[in-house]
Amino acid sequence: MPVKHLKYTWLLPAFLLMMAACKDDKYALPTAKDGLHNDCIKRTLGPNLVGQPIEFAYAMAILPSQGKIVSAQVEASIAGAPQTWLQNNSFYTNGSGDDVGIQVADPSVNEGAVTKVSFTKDTSAATLRYYYYIPEEVRGKTVRFTFNSKSSNGETVSYAMGPYTISKMDMKLDIPVKDAANCFISIADLAAYNSTDAAASPDKIDLVYLYRSIPNISFNHSLVSPGADKQYLPGVALPPNANRSTRISKVWNLQDFNLARLKYGVYIDDLDFEKLDISNAPNYAINMKEEAGAWVETADGKYRAYIFINKVNNGSKSAVISIKRYTLK
Amino acid sequence: MLNHYTMKKYFSIAGLLLLAAFTWIACTKENPVDEDGLLITTRAECYVSNFELLGTDFQTVLTGAPQIDTTACTVKAKVFFGTDLSNLYPQFSLVTDAKLDPKITGKVNFSDLDHPKQYTVISGNRQVRKTYTVYITVQQP
Repeated sequence: MPVKHLKYTWLLPAFLLMMAACKDDKYALPTAKDGLHNDCIKRTLGPNLVGQPIEFAYAMAILPSQGKIVSAQVEASIAGAPQTWLQNNSFYTNGSGDDVGIQVADPSVNEGAVTKVSFTKDTSAATLRYYYYIPEEVRGKTVRFTFNSKSSNGETVSYAMGPYTISKMDMKLDIPVKDAANCFISIADLAAYNSTDAAASPDKIDLVYLYRSIPNISFNHSLVSPGADKQYLPGVALPPNANRSTRISKVWNLQDFNLARLKYGVYIDDLDFEKLDISNAPNYAINMKEEAGAWVETADGKYRAYIFINKVNNGSKSAVISIKRYTLK
Repeated sequence: MLNHYTMKKYFSIAGLLLLAAFTWIACTKENPVDEDGLLITTRAECYVSNFELLGTDFQTVLTGAPQIDTTACTVKAKVFFGTDLSNLYPQFSLVTDAKLDPKITGKVNFSDLDHPKQYTVISGNRQVRKTYTVYITVQQP
């Protein structure tokens, strides 16, 4: 063979390599590892709000031949609110895609910062949901969690989660407001008062909800501060000494998930309030629509808030609003 | 018959000529740009074709289509009652290749109705300038 042909011999192994690379391996059932194992995910998205739960899914498993799960527990760095619980059902997904729970343990018990369940059925694999209800004392701090499970053969495993920062925000959902009734909104109290209650603390009234159907203009559902020009408060009898001038800036397409509870995965967090600048915003917002919102800063500079309009009703001259509030001072 | 060295010499000269030609073409300003890096064209048309005003919620605050007078160079727009005139986003649609001066970079304060805002449209050839005045009126009950 001529020597010059030898230089092409590298092509042969190259072709063989390509053929081998394209060959699919046959699927084989994975072999379960020895011992007790666990895993955890945080299911709650968005900011962690005081009074609301943080949800986790904690999974644990052991080979049936090696033992069964006897207990599971979660220890929080700061004890949760009394509603905190570890679910005693394990879930599987049925053919319709629904999660079906099966009770595998006694109801959970809270002992200080520890929440635990004891298994009552022979279980070698389970996924339990843990709901940590955020207590007031954690506001603005961070919290960590340690998940533990124990098997009948004496093995224990643990899984650390966190730290998670707890938001400084407050939230109040579904506050009904009605024209000429509970129309006086207090950001400080996260409430809507009628004229009698508003007269008792006029210095807390930041906004007035009113509905007007006025020819030639679009007034409709509006949020106006007591200190605004009287043309924006037609026919409103303000409580004596209610004169706060609250900055308010209209927003559209900001359906915060916590407030709206709709399909939009958008969350307003502490940082949004910290960076908000509505210093040159007016003190009224006319013609608010359903699913619209407004950034608000109180006259004393103590609070910033986002008011979301959940529902409006022209017939009854009413609306339902939800508020996220951030304390500045 | 040309020998090897003569051929090489001719190829070198041809190559240099070609390189010089490319360089000359590359440096010729057939597509001039202005100080903003925008293409200066031959178009002399200079007018506003549409105007829009958005509030802080990025929704229109205009009650209807604005009146644009390309002869008098005016834009007359009526806004909803209660519009926050100090925080508005104007939007101009211009004839092809034209540009606006001053540039709109964010919110504009239209609250001084006695001193309406003025914007100058500059044609594509950058030779024609027309200053438009924007008159805002607020819907009243």
